[in-house]
Amino acid sequence: MKKFISALLCVSSFSFASMIGLEAMGQEQIAGGSAAMAGRGFAGNAKTGDAEGVSVVNPARQAFDSKVALNLNFLLDVSTADRSKSHYTKTNLSMPSMNLSFPMGDFGTFGVSLWQHYAGSMREDFENQEENQKAKIEYQSSIYELVPTYAIRLPFYRAISLGASAHFVMGSFTRELTLGPDNSAIGENDAWATTDTDISDYVSGDWEIKNHPAYYTFAAQYRGRMASYFFSFTTPYTLKNDLEYNFRFSEIDTLVPTKHTREIRVPAMLATGVNYRFNKRHNVMADIAWRAWDKDIENAAGSWNLSKVTKTQNDFNISVGYQRDGSDIFYDSYWKRITYRAGAWFKNWYVQDVSEIGGSIGAGFPLGRKGTMLDLAIQGGVRLTDDDRNWSESYIGIRLGLLGVGSWGKTRGQ
Amino acid sequence: MKKKTFILFPLLAMFLSSCLFDSDDDGLSSWLSDQGMPSSYKVQMVEVDGLKPESAKLYRDTLPHTASSRGFLGAASGLVHDAVFDFAIDSAFLADMKEADSAKAYLSLYLFDGFYKFKNLPSNVLPIEEDLKLNVSWIVSEKLNTADYYALESVVDTVWMNELKSWKTKKKADTTLSVSITKKDSLLILDMPSAFVDDVRKNSGNRRLQLRISAPEASHVYRFYGPGSGLLVSPLLYMVEMKNNSYKGYRANRAATMTSNREECSDCLVLHSGVYDSLVVEFPSKPIMKALSDFYGDKFPYEDGNGVDVRQAVIMAELTFYRDDSMGENELGLPVRVVSVTYADSADKVVRSTESYIKFNDSLVVKKGHQNLVFHEGDSLSLQVTAGVRDFINRASDGRSFKMSMMFDLPILLENETTYANRYINSKGDTTYVAFPYSDFSRYDFSSIKDKPARLKLWLASKRGEE
Repeated sequence: MKKFISALLCVSSFSFASMIGLEAMGQEQIAGGSAAMAGRGFAGNAKTGDAEGVSVVNPARQAFDSKVALNLNFLLDVSTADRSKSHYTKTNLSMPSMNLSFPMGDFGTFGVSLWQHYAGSMREDFENQEENQKAKIEYQSSIYELVPTYAIRLPFYRAISLGASAHFVMGSFTRELTLGPDNSAIGENDAWATTDTDISDYVSGDWEIKNHPAYYTFAAQYRGRMASYFFSFTTPYTLKNDLEYNFRFSEIDTLVPTKHTREIRVPAMLATGVNYRFNKRHNVMADIAWRAWDKDIENAAGSWNLSKVTKTQNDFNISVGYQRDGSDIFYDSYWKRITYRAGAWFKNWYVQDVSEIGGSIGAGFPLGRKGTMLDLAIQGGVRLTDDDRNWSESYIGIRLGLLGVGSWGKTRGQ
Repeated sequence: MKKKTFILFPLLAMFLSSCLFDSDDDGLSSWLSDQGMPSSYKVQMVEVDGLKPESAKLYRDTLPHTASSRGFLGAASGLVHDAVFDFAIDSAFLADMKEADSAKAYLSLYLFDGFYKFKNLPSNVLPIEEDLKLNVSWIVSEKLNTADYYALESVVDTVWMNELKSWKTKKKADTTLSVSITKKDSLLILDMPSAFVDDVRKNSGNRRLQLRISAPEASHVYRFYGPGSGLLVSPLLYMVEMKNNSYKGYRANRAATMTSNREECSDCLVLHSGVYDSLVVEFPSKPIMKALSDFYGDKFPYEDGNGVDVRQAVIMAELTFYRDDSMGENELGLPVRVVSVTYADSADKVVRSTESYIKFNDSLVVKKGHQNLVFHEGDSLSLQVTAGVRDFINRASDGRSFKMSMMFDLPILLENETTYANRYINSKGDTTYVAFPYSDFSRYDFSSIKDKPARLKLWLASKRGEE
């Protein structure tokens, strides 16, 4: 267990690979980043089942679950940013979310998710002595949400459920840019004073929500025989990032930091989706989530020639997916018991002029009799940019989800 | 089969990442530049000329210091160093002394070999030939019972030195002896005046004897081993009873050096080495802020937010003073290092710390020696005050001035040596002494800083973007 926890902590200290929006909030992990969702193009928040688990977009869904589900998700992400002749590749390993849902029959379903909603990380250095260049950049930003959710089916109309979740936000931001000296502007006789003296522009701070403990999502879900729908509303909120920034000459030799708080007004999100089931085990689904940003995002401690703000745009995510549920009959062949998934998405980022097109295929491999499953998804796509600062990126990724299912509180045959 | 698949996929991704998507060498630099970040910081320089201190205060060290390992006796460069000893004399011997027809006493001090036999001792020190005028004063205690007598051994040094601050006695006597010390000598024998011997032998019982010896007109400060240096080289007071020719040597329980300042000019900023004198100087904020403001075109001091200025950082700051070595004197004839001490905010407190002197202009040092020295070629003294100026500009919005202090350090033997250490092991495995390992007794008058302006030179890195 100890080993497992330390491995988990190790993985969760990494974050996502995109280099876009590092100065703002980083890359957003859609739909909790679950491997099962990713396999079907992040669609299927409306899909119900007996152990679909927590959906951070649609908290009402879990009311239809009948089994306790614990779900851990991992992401291995390779992303290449390129512009003209330069390209730059990063590989990241992260743990976008951990979810637990706990159905209590007529008392509804309680769930909790730990979701790395936004993250950005980068740690690279480079040196070119001929041109007096020496730089090391380190970004480490993570906005985590602890999301308790509760959903219940209406007692008088069981096809409809209502759900709500509270998102408690936490996290940290660090940017450290270490630079070597460029003595070209001073006389040769004075160069001794700065030779080999590196300095670091250091920014760090915590994330929280301003004036409120959390932001909230409310959702309603309808489960029909063939078609299921959901609609959710997420309240707007203001993210507060208390930053301290200073110069560091070494770890123990620093200036007294300047304090600055940046506030990011995240708009309300509307989301809806549909899942259509046919031929018993085949599902097609489509989801859309939409937010109208009206304020730019202040960048972390603007300095050098960094832009002061990250301009925003209306951010939306349209996804379509297909899933063939695996047979839950243990005596069927293994191939039949595997769940197959495929999907595609188009996402307009919150960062202006950045859009993402992606596709994925995935499968859920049942392990043992009880419905325990290992979800695998392979995704790939491009992030297109149309400005001077952000580079376009292409990426591939592998997601792994572990789904543990238990039928607590149920007698055999129920 | 399942297992293999699960292991295979991540491996495949790793493989792809390492082979197919290799990064360009300059990928990061062009990405940084597209983000508006530099790939190095441009070093900029600002010079502030004509800095005159708004205050300069001298802190003289006049406290008694322990001479447990090494004591001083003599006078040099405006300071007189008295040696004080604390003895315990027993009743049996005093009784013998009392009965004797005549008696005499002398103090033997073992000269400190580390100094007098040091291989690089400047040749002007030895031999010493002089008629040494001694002022001897002493305090003999009341009769002590046995317990109190033995308790004298365990008097705490600091308690005793605190008592010494008010040395009062009427028992004084002068004597003159001729001293001759060559490199072979290791002992300084000081015959005590007869008034001292007569006064001591009047007493009976167990007594505590405190003896102070002063040589204000000495040509040299004699360095000797203190009582903590071991039995063989301890200062010993010999009392000889002439009739029986029996004598007894009393080892000092403890010893101290009491320094008195004989500088005549009370307004002068005379700093001494060998003691903990320090000179605290405060420079006004305005000219420094103005120079920065002229250079960057921004408002200084920075008053936005919490008023802490991190728009730029001081990589190096050097403060250069006018120097005229004729304003000072020294005993050993060697250049003496000046240490700069500055004040910086740390965890809501102001911390006084010695500036590091790690970087210096090597080629200048080879040609003209280190620039933080007095008593050598040239007419300036340059002190590095990086941490202090860094903190000062960082917090200047609270209206503070730039404050620093300076002290003397060790004399230096190899002023053109670019290894700035007291000593190092050379390639042959021998010890090379860069600094003379013991303090000189020197003085330097810094009064000129009041009217000869100093120059502050700053090496800066700025976070400002290029227009």
